[in-house]
Amino acid sequence: MHFLDLTIREIHEALLAKKVTVSELVLEALKRAKNNNYNAFETILEEEAIKKAQELDKLEVPADNYLFGIPYVAKDNFSTKDIETTASSNILKGYKPLFNATVIEKLNEKGMVLIGKTTLDELAMGGTGTSGHKGITYNPYDNSHTRLVGGSSCGSAAAVSGAIVPFALGSDTGDSVRKPASFAGLVGFKPTWGRISRWGLFPFAPSLDHVAYFTRSVDDAGLILNCLSGRDEKDFTSSLKPVNNYDLNHTVNLKNIKIGEICGVIDSITDKNVLNDFNNLVEKLNKETKVEKVNFDTKLLESIYPAYVVISCAEATSNNANLDGIKFGPYYDGKTYQDVMMQARTNGFSELIKRRFVIGSYCLMRENQEELFLRAQRVRRLIVDAFNEKLDEYDVLIAPAAPSIASLINNSSDKLSSEYLIADNYLAYANFGGQPSITIPLGFENGMPFGVNLTSKIFNEEELLYIAKEFEKILGFKNLSINNMKGGK
Amino acid sequence: MNFEAVIGLEIHVELKTKTKMFSDAPINFNDEPNTDVQLLDMAFPGTMPRVNKEAVRFAIRMCNALHMEIDKEIWFDRKNYFYSDLPKGFQITQQFKPIGKEGYLEIEVDGKLKKIEIERLHMEEDTCKQLHFSDYSLLDYNRAGVPLIEIVSKPLMRSGEEARKYVDKIRELVTFANVSDGKMEEGSLRCDVNISLRPYGSDKFGTKVEIKNLNSIANIEKAIDYEIKRQSELLFLGKSIQQETRRYDEAKKETVLMRVKTDAADYKYFVEPNIFPILLTDEFVQDAIDTCPELYDAKLKRFISQYQLEEVDAKILINNEGFADFFEKTCEFSKNFVAISKFLISDVMGYLNKENLPISSFPVDCKYIAEMVDLLKSNEINSSQGKQVFAKLLVENKSPLLIKEELGFTLINDEDAILNIIRRVLNENPTLIDDFKAGKTRVQGFIMGQVMKETKGKVNPGVANKLILQELNK
Amino acid sequence: MKEINKDVLVDASNRLLFKMEDSEYETLLSEFDVIQKQFEIMGHIEGVDEAKPMTFPYDIRIDYLRDDVPSTPLAKEDVLKNAGSVKDGQIKLPKVV
Repeated sequence: MHFLDLTIREIHEALLAKKVTVSELVLEALKRAKNNNYNAFETILEEEAIKKAQELDKLEVPADNYLFGIPYVAKDNFSTKDIETTASSNILKGYKPLFNATVIEKLNEKGMVLIGKTTLDELAMGGTGTSGHKGITYNPYDNSHTRLVGGSSCGSAAAVSGAIVPFALGSDTGDSVRKPASFAGLVGFKPTWGRISRWGLFPFAPSLDHVAYFTRSVDDAGLILNCLSGRDEKDFTSSLKPVNNYDLNHTVNLKNIKIGEICGVIDSITDKNVLNDFNNLVEKLNKETKVEKVNFDTKLLESIYPAYVVISCAEATSNNANLDGIKFGPYYDGKTYQDVMMQARTNGFSELIKRRFVIGSYCLMRENQEELFLRAQRVRRLIVDAFNEKLDEYDVLIAPAAPSIASLINNSSDKLSSEYLIADNYLAYANFGGQPSITIPLGFENGMPFGVNLTSKIFNEEELLYIAKEFEKILGFKNLSINNMKGGK
Repeated sequence: MNFEAVIGLEIHVELKTKTKMFSDAPINFNDEPNTDVQLLDMAFPGTMPRVNKEAVRFAIRMCNALHMEIDKEIWFDRKNYFYSDLPKGFQITQQFKPIGKEGYLEIEVDGKLKKIEIERLHMEEDTCKQLHFSDYSLLDYNRAGVPLIEIVSKPLMRSGEEARKYVDKIRELVTFANVSDGKMEEGSLRCDVNISLRPYGSDKFGTKVEIKNLNSIANIEKAIDYEIKRQSELLFLGKSIQQETRRYDEAKKETVLMRVKTDAADYKYFVEPNIFPILLTDEFVQDAIDTCPELYDAKLKRFISQYQLEEVDAKILINNEGFADFFEKTCEFSKNFVAISKFLISDVMGYLNKENLPISSFPVDCKYIAEMVDLLKSNEINSSQGKQVFAKLLVENKSPLLIKEELGFTLINDEDAILNIIRRVLNENPTLIDDFKAGKTRVQGFIMGQVMKETKGKVNPGVANKLILQELNK
Repeated sequence: MKEINKDVLVDASNRLLFKMEDSEYETLLSEFDVIQKQFEIMGHIEGVDEAKPMTFPYDIRIDYLRDDVPSTPLAKEDVLKNAGSVKDGQIKLPKVV
């Protein structure tokens, strides 16, 4: 096993003990990146990463900086200075931003080494990992390339579960990190909306967009949050609330923790393996505390998805109206300015994106605003109020993060469907309310992982991480990747 | 049948903040294209808006000047549409909750004050500037994101004259509140007119025509007057008015069709999700109001009461940029307020006009102007000497008293010497005393003339006058 | 609510400044069949009409604004670096009328 296959904390110890150098880590990561056959990358930053690694190797490894010298990747919807950033869309082909996203800046300052930009569903609008301009991103756990890794943060999920890097930046507007984390056997974490600056994250739906990320342990998720959290003067929606110390150096006793399982979600799941492993978890938890059943109005749970479609598509049509080929992206000459824009947008967006934009636009039409957009916003409030009420009562709400293992690519479709209306889509409630939410591995079925989600009240990420760490211990899945697979039972 | 015009105005005012509405790019109107641009102004993905504090303060000032209800909870919305000059594909504006509503201003029509109610005032951002050439257009993003306030009147104006006075009043308010240059010619104040006609007595609205691209206050009046005529003629002929947008053609002196309005645009407004609602404190609002420079009406009232100026003079000082300030500074050195006002209006303004200079370039300090006025007022120099002293003052900017001495301008104050001259005049003209007693007042002037002639104008006229009266009344 | 048919969708996509193929409209129409049933669920939730529309994930009012202090603007070359059509230091478009 290579040092690269350890957790961030363990790699840091190895760097401190001079058992490995940054360059060795980075070269190995680059090698694996170049050899990956999951279609995880938009760009591999070989030259830049090697150069930075060499510079870092000249420095003393700081004992208190766990992130120093650790290679990582970022979803290609984070603005990176002078590095082409396309959000996996042809409309942004060739676009080289003038600035770094705040999170990229923060990670770079800590001495993390960006080795590549990863694929996503085009403009982060999708949940399959199949709609980016570079095609399907595959699940590393499935050598036959028949299964999805999920999206929209597909390349990042593949890079971490595919053992290329121990950490990857993603974004989560509906479940775009927490759901692929389930399919890829990873920790997928979305802190509170406002906890991390969104400056430089390409917007999909700003009121739902979160910076989120994948790690291979809950502990590492805490280390990363220590770096990323905090007020950013460039993002006036970033919170002024003081940050906590997310270095999880003690433990919580589950005895003092109130846990609720979301019945409506569980009831809508038919997969026996998922239900079985979830029930086993609850059984184990019940030895230390009492897991109570929490009920919500089924209609409310069923409304999460339509409300999400309305709000996210509506905001998206507007956020992506800047993509017109005039200021950046491929320019197409024409007779009129409308012609110029029309060609850029017709050629630049895939069919799926266009359909989403039309839906969003339809929801915002004067005649439809009240019944669709405003109603969805009203439903959002009811959902948020209902969940927050329970989150005041329970420290965490839990449920399987997805109804099953990753789907077969042939069976999947990016068309809107009514299958698994609740279990496939409920995670978006934590985007509506901005609550911190984390997915960790729960089990395996035929070698394919699936996860459990834990969500807590807003700005309570410290406690949530501590609780998730206890879950991790109980479940025994830590630091999973294709190089370190404990599943397949 | 006679028709009544129903006119409403939408005025956009560019605020003269140092930075843009939502980005910290500098604003400098004469800069080279695309050199006052920040990331947000180009709508680069991942950039986010941050509301300019000064722009909010300026908006509050204008709300207050227009007697509006100020909403302390600020929300912004998106107005979604595509246009070549709109970088983001939406404009951030205040559709649902304008910062100000239900205000008014007053204009004078036929010697009476008429109140024009104002519906709303809201903040928004400007688009980028387009320069049009024969077969292409160029985009300059320096203007993209410049703060704007839009002031929407109720449709309460009835003539071009009223509209002109309304816009002029707005211009006066924004310039006195120092929130904008208010120059229509340069586009820092823009006005769109909505106009319809209806039979007198009717309370229904006719079909609305919009007039855009008006580039001077005078043209607003001309365009409206023309449009009233055009629409009346159509209505008289029994034809209907088309809902359309027109512009004013200065050369033809008429409005011309730009486009016919088909279905109204749907801007798909929704709350801007990247700007939290802002709750202004009472102190913030009060401070914005308290720090507002004095407005025209208040200043005029004060100049008349505090300095006893004639209204016409006070208006001249206030209407000419910088003069009111210069006047008040000068008044710190002399109590001859009225004389100062007259001197500024005649001599100083005359000089500046001749040289085509603004008062900010006037080369003489206030305290010397005060001294100059005092010298004249106390008759220590006469007016022709005054002209020479002023000419030198303009060049040397030093004490007029000193200049006076250098020029050897001293008036004869010696009473005996003056009496001698007066008596000689009386002796040479023996009928004068009788004439005076018979009531011919011009006698006094005649003697003064002779005394002046004798002394080449160097006698102190005050002293001379006193002695002339004394001798005549003996 | 506006009735959904192909014409409405064609008009909507034209206003969004992109063209779609006929087959894409067919897919979209079938998607609308699905999503509209889901939209309807929203109308049946108790108290939905009384709830205030929610834009932000939590209720918040801020009192800070940006001070009016200019930054160093972007270099002109950078402003235009990513633009595909540039002339004389400005972005060039077909004549806008």
